[in-house]
Amino acid sequence: MAGPSHPDAMAPSRPGPTRTAPPQMPASWWSAPRIRTYLLFDATGLVYLLLGFVALEVVWALGAGPEAWDAMLASLRNPLVVAFHALGLASVIFVGVRFFSFFPKAQPPRIGPMKPPPAPVILGGLYVAWIGLTVLFAAILAGGIF
Amino acid sequence: MSETKKKFVITRFDPEKDESPRTQEYEIPVQGDWKVLDAINYIKDEVDPSVCHRWSCRMAVCGSCGMMVDGEPKLTCKTSLAEYGDTVVVEPLANFPIVRDLVVELEGFMEKFKRVKPWVVRAKEQAAEKSGGGTYAQSPEELAEFKKFSMCINCMLCYAACPVVANEGEFLGPAAIALGHRYNLDSRDEGESERNEIFRGEGTIYSCSFAHECSEVCPKNVDPAAAINQAKFSALIDWAQNLVLPKGRAGGA
Repeated sequence: MAGPSHPDAMAPSRPGPTRTAPPQMPASWWSAPRIRTYLLFDATGLVYLLLGFVALEVVWALGAGPEAWDAMLASLRNPLVVAFHALGLASVIFVGVRFFSFFPKAQPPRIGPMKPPPAPVILGGLYVAWIGLTVLFAAILAGGIF
Repeated sequence: MSETKKKFVITRFDPEKDESPRTQEYEIPVQGDWKVLDAINYIKDEVDPSVCHRWSCRMAVCGSCGMMVDGEPKLTCKTSLAEYGDTVVVEPLANFPIVRDLVVELEGFMEKFKRVKPWVVRAKEQAAEKSGGGTYAQSPEELAEFKKFSMCINCMLCYAACPVVANEGEFLGPAAIALGHRYNLDSRDEGESERNEIFRGEGTIYSCSFAHECSEVCPKNVDPAAAINQAKFSALIDWAQNLVLPKGRAGGA
């Protein structure tokens, strides 16, 4: 064992008659491939946080006048910023695929009299909705609609 | 059967002597068809009788012999030694207070279990003549809705694998939530709202971040991660229904 778990993990509300050693986590907990995938999934939260700051900056530039807006657009063309957005896209795809893969099993066997459709139908619907909405928003942003 | 030697690194902790857990190494002859539990039993019987561990049925039913084997929670009676190298590290289940050597404290787990009311809750028992001789009829389809979640043997591997249990002391945890959800799905039960009230509290279903480790390590394929996330849906729907139609008004009363 390496690091300690939360000191109250699985502890009874009242200590028993015997002294116990505090709960611990295995030394290799972070190195198992499954956990690394999970950690990567959680780490994408940092990317979204930074993307949120970029979005706030864009909104601020929009209200600060034409010069600030042009400067913002120029900064978005910076290769580093482009690379960061590519990382953001990869993060979204990774999280989306992982979330969708677990989504069918998270459906209750029934809601009232209704039963959820089979897993392939749920998965198909999710991907169709995801790709469809992406295409729709891309068309709106490209000026193809409105 | 072929016989080779393997080294076992076993966690030792005597609450009367040791300040904190330590490790002790044992090199023993092992046979090709042995499970990890066979090796630990050999050590206790032939090498060091002071080694302390739990086991009972040797057929993956009682759930007593869960331990960390090379860092992963395993039912040792079901885990073949052939899967491991020349050195095997055996530790008590992670995330549990250690009572002695490979034995962990169970009381915290039992307390979490009780919180989800793991029994059939009935507002009022049916009269025997109405219910077919005192039993509650249930169709195979109704049984199929929860059967998977009723196969839990309380081995606690899911608690040892769960990163939320490791970091949030109050977390109700996979097996307890799966069991509560199992009763919520049971057609004979009328306690769903009571359990959903518990599920919507602190440190319960919404603490789960769907790491899915519980389902990966479950030796009986109970799939607690599915149960927890189904419970999230059900508790949310129950909350929304109560918002629209508060308790006491349901059914037009």
